[in-house]
Amino acid sequence: MNNDLKRLISLHDLDVMISDLQNKDIRKQEKKLGLSPAAAVVELKKMRGELALLITRRNRNMYDQLASHYGNAVVPVIHERCSGCFTQLPTAFVASPDRNKQVETCPACGRFIYWCD
Amino acid sequence: MKRPIFSKWNIKSVNRKTAIAELLKLFSFQKTTEELLLTALETREQAEPTIVHDGIAMPHCRSILVDDFMIAIGKSEKGIPWPEKKVKVIILFITPVRPSGPEEHMKLIKHLAKLLRTDGAEKLLSADSPIEAASILKFTLQESNQNEQ
Repeated sequence: MNNDLKRLISLHDLDVMISDLQNKDIRKQEKKLGLSPAAAVVELKKMRGELALLITRRNRNMYDQLASHYGNAVVPVIHERCSGCFTQLPTAFVASPDRNKQVETCPACGRFIYWCD
Repeated sequence: MKRPIFSKWNIKSVNRKTAIAELLKLFSFQKTTEELLLTALETREQAEPTIVHDGIAMPHCRSILVDDFMIAIGKSEKGIPWPEKKVKVIILFITPVRPSGPEEHMKLIKHLAKLLRTDGAEKLLSADSPIEAASILKFTLQESNQNEQ
């Protein structure tokens, strides 16, 4: 898998983690388990900053735009459809031997897409 | 909450990262998926070790790389440095990112918090088999995993 694509997926998962730990109900449950979600968020935000810097500027900017517009900037391809907008992807796209070897975006919604192995 | 889980009752790893990797192997993900999930879980641990009781850690995250709940329980008799404290039982779970939000993830944490805050944690630490551990957590052990000791 393309390194930038791997980092974009990790960035997405990290954003989900930060968002979860800022969710009032999840925070409450994590605290009941003896964890410190607020302190974890501070650390995770630092790590997010470091990871984002490893992504090419173009993809990083695009990620931020997509995340603020859709909420999710990276989505898997499921049954040859973008799982963000459910558009059927073109055959040539789906049949490409370079799947995941380069950063691809959905031709309809622009989200970053990846194929599940 | 009758969810199928995997188990590894004799974790051989001697550190946190490899112990998490050992449990992730139970799910038979492709290599890249496994690597990315390990990165996510280890990142969470670096931010704050998820020790939820003396001897019990709960590495967890939500990820776009899974489409269903992935839960595994592991046990190490010797204990694994996490890294400050030793952990003997690991409850690992990854939940999917759904358009509906983190509700399912929250429910699972709530379920585990409730069990561990009562006497579940002590029972879990003294459980003799994966089936017993799964039963304490009110999960069902995967059939394919029932011979795992």
